[in-house]
Amino acid sequence: MFSKADNSAAWAVGGALALFFLGGLITTVVPPLVDKSWGRPAPGLKPYTEIQLKGRAIYVREGCWYCHTQQTRTLVSDTKRSGWRGVDSPISTPDEFVYDKPHMFGTKRTGPDLSRVGGKYDTQWHRTHFRNPRDLVPGSVMPPFPWIVNDPVEFPALVAYIQTLGRAKDWRPDHDYEK
Amino acid sequence: MPDNNAAAATGARPAEAGPVAHPDTTAKWFLISAICYFFIVGIIAITIAAKFCWPELLGTVPYLSYGRLRPLHVNGMLFGWLLAADMGLAYYIVPRLCGVKLWSEKLGIATAALWNVIILGAVFALMGGYNQGLEYAELPLPLDILVVIAWIMFGINIFGTIMTRRYQQMYVSLWYIMGCILWTAFVYLTGNFATEFTSGVNQANLNWMYVHNAVGLIFTPIGLGIAYYFIPKSSETPLYSHRLSMVGFWALSFVYVWTGAHHMIHGPISQWLQTIAITFSLMLLIPVWAVVYNFFATMKGQWHQLRDNVPLKFLMSGVVFYLLTCFQGPMHSLRSVSAIVSKTDWIPGHAHMAVLGCFSFFAVAGIYYVAPRLWRTQLHSDALANWSFWFIIMGGLGFFVTLWLGGFWQGWQWNNPAIPFIDTVKALQPIWLVRFFSGVMIFLGIVMFAYNIMATVVGRKAYVQ
Repeated sequence: MFSKADNSAAWAVGGALALFFLGGLITTVVPPLVDKSWGRPAPGLKPYTEIQLKGRAIYVREGCWYCHTQQTRTLVSDTKRSGWRGVDSPISTPDEFVYDKPHMFGTKRTGPDLSRVGGKYDTQWHRTHFRNPRDLVPGSVMPPFPWIVNDPVEFPALVAYIQTLGRAKDWRPDHDYEK
Repeated sequence: MPDNNAAAATGARPAEAGPVAHPDTTAKWFLISAICYFFIVGIIAITIAAKFCWPELLGTVPYLSYGRLRPLHVNGMLFGWLLAADMGLAYYIVPRLCGVKLWSEKLGIATAALWNVIILGAVFALMGGYNQGLEYAELPLPLDILVVIAWIMFGINIFGTIMTRRYQQMYVSLWYIMGCILWTAFVYLTGNFATEFTSGVNQANLNWMYVHNAVGLIFTPIGLGIAYYFIPKSSETPLYSHRLSMVGFWALSFVYVWTGAHHMIHGPISQWLQTIAITFSLMLLIPVWAVVYNFFATMKGQWHQLRDNVPLKFLMSGVVFYLLTCFQGPMHSLRSVSAIVSKTDWIPGHAHMAVLGCFSFFAVAGIYYVAPRLWRTQLHSDALANWSFWFIIMGGLGFFVTLWLGGFWQGWQWNNPAIPFIDTVKALQPIWLVRFFSGVMIFLGIVMFAYNIMATVVGRKAYVQ
């Protein structure tokens, strides 16, 4: 019955593309139209400043996102690990990431998730840590980044970006950098 | 076999070359450059594996840091080695299945040259930190545009050959290669250009659609097209069923594209979209089983050939890895399994089994099969080819199995928040050490393979028909 179609390149082209676009459009074009929260910023979300954007570009350039995710998933253990002093972190929601371009959700956690790291560690901690992570965290496998720490422009920019992470939701009981 | 349409139509056997003399210059250039990148990027692969064990290694050189070498490893292996090898084999297969010469050998050589420009450009861009920040789409925009141009040149040549074919019947390899060219065009545009106009979750969704389908609709169809050609060829056995191969093709073209969101199970993306992705991920078992059953049924009564047929060894172990990796994929899209394995070292174990264990095995088998035929000689050493198989598969198994065990263990630890994160890192140290030595074994196998092919090409002695 299908032998005619089976020998036709035009049928191959048309059929393969039709099936592709059916699935492709429903899963990529439709979702942002249905779920408005994908494009609407969270109430506490501020656009990045110039220095924060510069820091973000460094985070992208150095491939930090290959080892650090930025998403507190709906799993209990995620909310506890992203938490602070016994308070669980809220889960990540799409409206917190509206200004993220490129997105930095990540796929692999060789190091800890960073979605709520903003405000937890001060500049001095980051300076020591970036110079050699094992000085502060024995057993860490994070590479050292001396060329960033030694750069008077890049280091403050990167820290400024890191301090923004997860700040769209106000949930921590303490002031910044309190241990 | 003479030009015999009736036999080709009923036997579903890849048609023979017939009287056409194929120059194959394009195929040769693609395969040689692919093998070079396989070797060069292999060095980068073991370097980044070593960095997990010795994090200070090359630590003060920005260009050689983990974050820059990892994308070079991924892009180099995917586009420099595997896709180039697959394209080279397509340039070999398609004219033979059509019974005509390649549509334009000049266009093909230009495509090979452009492809090398792209890969060399990628090396400089990625080591220099010009990274777009999207997985598998790291290359900067100018290189993306060149990739599109090269792909169009490849598509024109392949479709031009198919349009002028002398055999009416289209063997399944042609279907898969045509599907690959069409889908890749749109998948690549989505992942590298549509993402430019979006941000946040919307962009991530497009990115995962691309990442998933880079494997599912680029490497899977062209890899299966190659396996469908070389399994019957190297075992000299007709394919079990043409009809079943068509079921697999159409099922693949329907279900693969829906599954991108399974990369964000439990993450900040709509639950209904996650559920769609999970449903279609499970349906992937249909095309996978259709393909694997067809290959196993083809080998029925022929398994003894595996004793001394190296291409067939690579092909059939690739089929087993294909079955395993495509069973893992649907399983860890399930919410319960994803909660354990997602983001762990299980994932690189899974990804390497797909791209190395399955599709690279198909490509290596194809090259072992075609190299003596392209250069009209005999393979330099069958024994060395056999050693390369055993090194790559033993190293590969060491790599996959330790990362699954380690990743699962890591996932259990993460799900117990009483364990500090750094302790879950320390726990993986022995796993990473085994992974490094497995990687060295794989690399030695690659060296044997590359040397064997190069020696076949350069030092060819016996000329055979």
